[in-house]
Amino acid sequence: MLATEVTPAARRPKRARRTSVRLADAGNYLFVLPAVFFLAAFLIYPILYNIRLSFIDVKANELLSGSAAWVGLRNYQEIFQDPLARLAALNTFIFTIVSLIFQIVISMALALLYNQEFPGSRFMRSMYIAGWAIPVLVSGTMFKWLFDGDSGLVNYALKLIGICPNPLFWTADPNLALISTIIANIWLGIPFNLALIYASLQTIPRELYEAASIDGAKAWSKFFFITLPLIKPALLSTLILGMIYTIKQFELIWTMTQGGPLNSSQVVSTAAYTYVFSQFEFGHGAALLNLTALFLFGATLLYLRSIRREGAT
Amino acid sequence: MKTFSFFRRGWHLTLLSALLLFVFLIPLLWMVSTALKSTSEIYSYPPKLISLSPDWTIWSQILTDPQISRFFVNSLVVSFGTTFTTLCLSIPCAYGLAHLPVKGKTLILGVSLSTLVFPAIMTATPLYIVFGKLGMLNTYPALILADTAISLPFAIVMLRPSFRSVPKELAEAAQIDGCGRWRAFWLIMLPLVVPGILTVGVFTFLAGWGDLLMSLTLTTDDAMMPVTAGLFKYIGNNVSQWNRVMALATLQSIPPLLLFMVAQRYVVSGLTEAAVKQ
Repeated sequence: MLATEVTPAARRPKRARRTSVRLADAGNYLFVLPAVFFLAAFLIYPILYNIRLSFIDVKANELLSGSAAWVGLRNYQEIFQDPLARLAALNTFIFTIVSLIFQIVISMALALLYNQEFPGSRFMRSMYIAGWAIPVLVSGTMFKWLFDGDSGLVNYALKLIGICPNPLFWTADPNLALISTIIANIWLGIPFNLALIYASLQTIPRELYEAASIDGAKAWSKFFFITLPLIKPALLSTLILGMIYTIKQFELIWTMTQGGPLNSSQVVSTAAYTYVFSQFEFGHGAALLNLTALFLFGATLLYLRSIRREGAT
Repeated sequence: MKTFSFFRRGWHLTLLSALLLFVFLIPLLWMVSTALKSTSEIYSYPPKLISLSPDWTIWSQILTDPQISRFFVNSLVVSFGTTFTTLCLSIPCAYGLAHLPVKGKTLILGVSLSTLVFPAIMTATPLYIVFGKLGMLNTYPALILADTAISLPFAIVMLRPSFRSVPKELAEAAQIDGCGRWRAFWLIMLPLVVPGILTVGVFTFLAGWGDLLMSLTLTTDDAMMPVTAGLFKYIGNNVSQWNRVMALATLQSIPPLLLFMVAQRYVVSGLTEAAVKQ
């Protein structure tokens, strides 16, 4: 019955509507395209440019004339042999692992504390965000002053409790510079980690703990058999985000040591910046950054795949 | 009986938490304390926790220094410019990705997400070269464009779920009633995602205000430097004058801290959401 009713006359408005739908589709793109063009011009193009830089031999004057020789993988081979890039890779590894371990452990302890109800809990928990809100440069400057050799508060405290009577020149000592940036970075990461871990603790139903208490479970067993398994996914994503953020860290180290003294606190980002802006080795800097980005990209993909797989089973 | 209620209400945890918070905030407190000391007091041993006679001359010098006010003006222009540009581009885009039938959604979202992973320095060198060729170094647009490029993918990724949580039938119903596409977006959808927009706005402003990388790379002229690059340079020039350095550091922490206090709710929820969504 329906089929008989569809006459050519009835079809016409339908067709008209179809073309207007197409026009409407075009209108929809107006919402999206400005941002897409912007990203293409100011983010994607620079990233591709960076990849190109890593395959050519660029000196500053050639950069302006645009005539630079294609050298294939030579920049990559050179940074693999360059002590600066090697040291930077090793330092980045140490910087990231040590920072993440302490950030997670300290933030976990704090999150467990603030997960309990007590007067002022909410207010005091939110105060930690102050450490995140201020510019990284300011945090770096604060720590540089705390670690000052002559009048720094850290040296004074160490002397006071009798651990180390002689002043240590933290950021000026090749053996201690990396450690001081790590300590500052642990501090820097606590607000973010605390906020994330706290949020995941809040999702655990209280009844689980009450039931465990009735069964006579101790605090430690509650932590290991209820809390930890339930926040494991959130903890893993916190860890991955922290890893990305820490490997990318530039401003803190640049403020505190600029990778020095004697390159002792160079990480990949500061080394790349040194290659480009003090040695004018654009190709080396670009190659080092591309490898870092490739690593971060791969790690993130692996992580995303692992959660998808877990979600599927 | 009294002690019983002390523990039951959790006051012992309040004490513990206050102590831990104090330890965490020592760097900040020490910054402010140093900023109020006279030059001789910084080097006194044992260090004084709080200056007994605050040295206000440093502050009056800093507050009246035209160069330093210039740093602040530059930072304000760049941060507001970045926030405005980021919001103008990300809000319609996030709405389009959330509700409109647009091809290539997955690609746009995937690219936005993956650029979050890349180090910002990757864009610093190319932008330095390109802006240098265009004669745009030491200009506000260069800084605003560079900072927006860093903030935009994050803003899109953050805002899309806000729009998704609003049923798209609302906008469709308005369009059937004769409301234009943009009016439906502007009048119906936008008011419903104000919290998400505020969160992204606060994040973008803080990122713009705190940016050192682009400021160092794209400005060499004192007159165009934001406060971050200004402080960085100031440390180099005043190596041992920690009270001056800390005064400038304190001063440039005030806008983000004020913003944080006013918009605390959005910052905290944003911080957690950012991770959950990614």
